[in-house]
Amino acid sequence: MTTLRVLRHAAACGFSDYATIYTWKTWLAGWYVRVLAQVAFFALIGKLLDSQARVEYLLIGNAVMLAAVGGLFAVAGTTWERRAGTLPLHVASPSSPVVVFTGRSAWGLTEGVLSSAGTFFVAAPLFGLELALRSLLVLPLLVLVASSSYALGIFLGGLVLRAMSTRNVVANVVSATMMAICGVNVPVEFFPEPIQWVGQALPLTHGLHAIRDVLGGGSAASIIVNAALELLVGLVWLGLALVTFNRLAEGGRRSGAIEFAA
Amino acid sequence: MRTFAAGYRLQFRVIRSDPDYLMPLATIPLFAVVFLAIVRHAGRDDLTEYALLAPVLIALWQLSLTVAGEIIADDRWQGTLEPAIAAPASFPTLVVGRVLAVTSVALVAFVEVWAVGAGLFGVSVEFHHPVAFVLAVGATALAMSGTALIMAALFVVTRSARTFQNSLSYPFYVLGGILVPVSFLPEWVQPASSAVFLSWSADLLRDSLAPAAVDNLAYRLAMVVVLGAAGFAVGRLTLERILRRVRRTGEVGLA
Repeated sequence: MTTLRVLRHAAACGFSDYATIYTWKTWLAGWYVRVLAQVAFFALIGKLLDSQARVEYLLIGNAVMLAAVGGLFAVAGTTWERRAGTLPLHVASPSSPVVVFTGRSAWGLTEGVLSSAGTFFVAAPLFGLELALRSLLVLPLLVLVASSSYALGIFLGGLVLRAMSTRNVVANVVSATMMAICGVNVPVEFFPEPIQWVGQALPLTHGLHAIRDVLGGGSAASIIVNAALELLVGLVWLGLALVTFNRLAEGGRRSGAIEFAA
Repeated sequence: MRTFAAGYRLQFRVIRSDPDYLMPLATIPLFAVVFLAIVRHAGRDDLTEYALLAPVLIALWQLSLTVAGEIIADDRWQGTLEPAIAAPASFPTLVVGRVLAVTSVALVAFVEVWAVGAGLFGVSVEFHHPVAFVLAVGATALAMSGTALIMAALFVVTRSARTFQNSLSYPFYVLGGILVPVSFLPEWVQPASSAVFLSWSADLLRDSLAPAAVDNLAYRLAMVVVLGAAGFAVGRLTLERILRRVRRTGEVGLA
């Protein structure tokens, strides 16, 4: 019960922070235009390739990628808290720091799902992708992709707490890696086998596979298996985050350097 | 000239001290992998040059607009803007030197992308028109710096500029035709594209790598330079006006 209350308050803090950056008007005129252009940019590559199948493949992949990007906002989000100077208080309090930090970047989850769904359902008809009623099944899968990516983001957020200046580099390199090898722009099988294994261990790969199955009329069994794999990957990253985060957050207590990280 | 050189040297030191400045250079090889994988998977080796040029232009754009654009805002937060403005050297000249330093660093992306192409995909690029290519790169770098100067000024005058900073990427990659030529865009968008120097740069760079002769080289180069110079002029004027205003109102150090 206490954990839920801490999560709720931490999430409320995060949403308040986010509200200082965007109002719904500036979000629509700024961020939404950007993500819509991002999906259009890749869908247009399909047109350059003169293939409607590739237009649709690239459009779906890059729209779903936005859900993962939202989840990865947690990497930078954890450092906001540290910059506010509250880490020693979190470490000293009876509540676990990882609970606070897990709630703190929940805005990223919301934004990821909104950006992803908002661009997909707008860009799809613009680029000639026909949507059946079952395409609404994409929505819960987007939440799943964003959540599993969020778990990875929390894990990485723990790592960058000790080197905050690397937060944006880490988040962007991981995000670009996912864009390359998780089946967003080309099938995972395009890459050599060791890279495929890395792709299988990252969030997004299986969830995106499930979404492609939903939109392409794949079997229910395939959708369920891939969704379950995405959930499993997310849980593994969450487990890793729970195991490592507090140790990393508390790392500065013994050395007295808890307030000092570049 | 000494002020310009001092700004150029200072910015190199700043870049070395903060990994964020080099972030686009960390992600650009991955963008190269993405674009090359797309064209390779589609069996369109004829588009290899397109896939190689796009990440370079992305690196130039990102570093120029997001990193160079924040130069003055960063000075303001660190409290170094007041002494810089009070010094007898021309502040806009100093900023231009710093912006150009960032743009020069972005040119490292050429090496990165070529290395990814050769090392991972076995691609070797043939420079069919090396003079046109070098001129186009130089004009593009200058035009990028001009645009960055506008951003540097805007970041000082309005907090909301930061809100829209993230939005200056993909919309301009589409409008600028950095990978997909503007002719693939809807007709109603194409006039807007011609006002974006990137569209002229991207087309010219692609043509300079193609075997066919480069048409209208001088005119197209001039368009990049003119649009870039317009950026410099607008950026410098805006900066001077802003500096006059914040000096008068006493808001130099208030971010």
